[in-house]
Amino acid sequence: MRRTTWLQELLAPIALVALLAIASSLWVSSADQSKFQTAIVYVAIVAALYVFVGNSGVLSFGQVSFVAVGAFSAGVMTIPAGTKPGVLPTLFPLLRDHSISNVWSLVLAAGLGGVYAFAVGIPLMRLSGIAAGIATLAVLGITYNLLTYWNSIGPGATTLSLIPETTDYWQATVGAISVILVAFGYQRSRFGRQLRAAREDPAAARAAGIDIHRQRLWAFTLSGALSGFTGGLYVHLLGSIQTNQVYLDLTFLTLAMLVVGGISSLLGAVVGAIAISLFTILLGNSEEGIHVFGWGIKAPAGTSLVGVAVVMLVILLLRPAGITGGREFSLPSTFARPRLRSR
Amino acid sequence: MRGTKRWGLAVALALVVAIAVAAVGVTTASGAQSAGTIKLAYVADFTGQMAPFDNPALTAAKLEIKNVNAKGGVLGKKLVLLQCDTQNSKPDVSKSCVDNLVGQGAVIGLVTCDVDAATAAIQEFLNKNLLTVSPCIGTDQMGPKRFGAKGKLAFSFGNVAQDEGAAMAEYAYNVKHWKTAITVTDNVIVYFKNIVQAFTSRFKQLGGKIVDAESFTAGDKTISSVVSRVNSHKAAVIVTSDGFADWPTEFAGIRSLGNNTPIMNSWAGDGTYWYPKGTKVSNYWYVTYASVFGDDPSPQVKALIAQMKAIHQPPATGAFVQGSAAIDGIVAAIKSAKGSTTGSTLAAIMVKFHNLPTISGKVSFSPSLHSVFGRAYRVMEVQNSKPKFVQLYTTKKLGTL
Repeated sequence: MRRTTWLQELLAPIALVALLAIASSLWVSSADQSKFQTAIVYVAIVAALYVFVGNSGVLSFGQVSFVAVGAFSAGVMTIPAGTKPGVLPTLFPLLRDHSISNVWSLVLAAGLGGVYAFAVGIPLMRLSGIAAGIATLAVLGITYNLLTYWNSIGPGATTLSLIPETTDYWQATVGAISVILVAFGYQRSRFGRQLRAAREDPAAARAAGIDIHRQRLWAFTLSGALSGFTGGLYVHLLGSIQTNQVYLDLTFLTLAMLVVGGISSLLGAVVGAIAISLFTILLGNSEEGIHVFGWGIKAPAGTSLVGVAVVMLVILLLRPAGITGGREFSLPSTFARPRLRSR
Repeated sequence: MRGTKRWGLAVALALVVAIAVAAVGVTTASGAQSAGTIKLAYVADFTGQMAPFDNPALTAAKLEIKNVNAKGGVLGKKLVLLQCDTQNSKPDVSKSCVDNLVGQGAVIGLVTCDVDAATAAIQEFLNKNLLTVSPCIGTDQMGPKRFGAKGKLAFSFGNVAQDEGAAMAEYAYNVKHWKTAITVTDNVIVYFKNIVQAFTSRFKQLGGKIVDAESFTAGDKTISSVVSRVNSHKAAVIVTSDGFADWPTEFAGIRSLGNNTPIMNSWAGDGTYWYPKGTKVSNYWYVTYASVFGDDPSPQVKALIAQMKAIHQPPATGAFVQGSAAIDGIVAAIKSAKGSTTGSTLAAIMVKFHNLPTISGKVSFSPSLHSVFGRAYRVMEVQNSKPKFVQLYTTKKLGTL
């Protein structure tokens, strides 16, 4: 029975993503499908965030930096070379005169995200607690300002446009499932187990010979690479991007998704991202006027912002450990005693 | 029992996904272009940061559509305006809005007044090969320069910065005889940057001298140092293009140092909503589309303002008039196309507009400039926080970027 437990833990988040993708592609109007595709990409971003935050227990405000690096690198490098001198005249010649395909741009995004995370992680991963959180916030600020003001590497403060919109349902879903697979593989690996041991009891982990700095650095780097990859997915979904779209709002939104779902489980990351996305879509649509099961609803402007915050508050008051309670899903061999399994 | 509860939770999660999807799935209205109407999709930010600019333009567009329909519509077809809020210019919401309204039969798109905020919606309209019009984007970015070949379908009834900046330079140099200037550039949006660039080029061309050129980006917290540096130079006029968060601080900062040098702004500095508390706004000039202070020289504009006041939506800045002007331009293009609403057909007509009369004055486009040039600007002067219309001014020669 235990041999199949890991499979159930893995299949549950994948099944949720697949269910969301299939159900929304079949039932949702074409007009609303881009919102659901965004929700699937959010699942990928939150799963990437979980790799570090969930396994290490260190709150990081900096992971969206790597999403930003991935988004802008993938975006800049996939705009056709013939168009770039017109729309991005101030780019470095190497960036201005060359373009790459969508798939290679995702590889580039993941690579740059990983390298950047590794570089900043070397000093940062020695910190813990509030100091680590503030330091990662500083990384976010530095990244944002570099991307906003250095127009030799991107559009600067303006919106990067003309990015090929290649992230469809298929690519978003495959991308999100890939991130989930990597995240799951990591958390079951020796490295993942060591980091979680350090999360639960740093002193005992050190006594057992675990190098906490090294384990955090690996997780931070992997999370950075996955975040960069999701940035590539995100930018190819939107077709345009501005630096403030990958800054504080996205940081707090994705952290909220992780906390609401359950910070210490992969299932929690996926459930939180899906739940908050769906509430946001529903409440956002209600501002325009919707008909749900025959009832006409038109909510006042701003309902989605207030509503989502209230829902998050209620969930955290009722379930402080998040919707899943920080547990993975596990189905015993008989259906008599199914259960969610604690990590 | 506990296990059953948890299993129930997991099933409930899956059901929530399915039900929520189903619930959203039934929300979108469907529709198609009916024979007697032409549907326009207005996708803009009616509740977020751009709302002060987009809402007046929307109201003016609606009033103009009412006027057009009262006169029998366009070649017998009534105009219908569909609108969707991008909720502070969120890209996924913007794309969804476009898809939704086009799904309801809209054949022409209207977008928000800033090209960066509007990019997601613009690209979605252009991907559907629809004519895409902004009432008041004020740069040459609304067109092929920003959107490549597809940008041939994109136009703005805002003034192109090369024209507006040059008008400021010519008025400063030729009319006010200000021969030296300090420029302050807010790099936060292209429009602000381009206005100062165009002013600088035209001002120098006329023989003027820029004694100091300062720059910052809204929110970078350097505005106090910028004010100090500006104050350390002497010039006949301080020129900027700004209307965002740091602008009131900049204005009040300069005046608080006892510096009463004339300050000149673009349309960005229109309206009184930004006037700093405790500081009288004086020695201040700007150019705009229309005066909203009851002294505009155009009876049509005055009538439109009266209509807006009657429905308790008075305009805050002169850009409102562009909502009406955009409708005038779209109507003219459809009439020239003999009723066709095909994007490429309308764009081919629109790019040849030369001195097309609209409520906001004469409108011209060119293959490289899809935003308006050649319009008569309202030059406004503010003394003791009271704005008044001074004169109309039309640029003699465009500035360069």
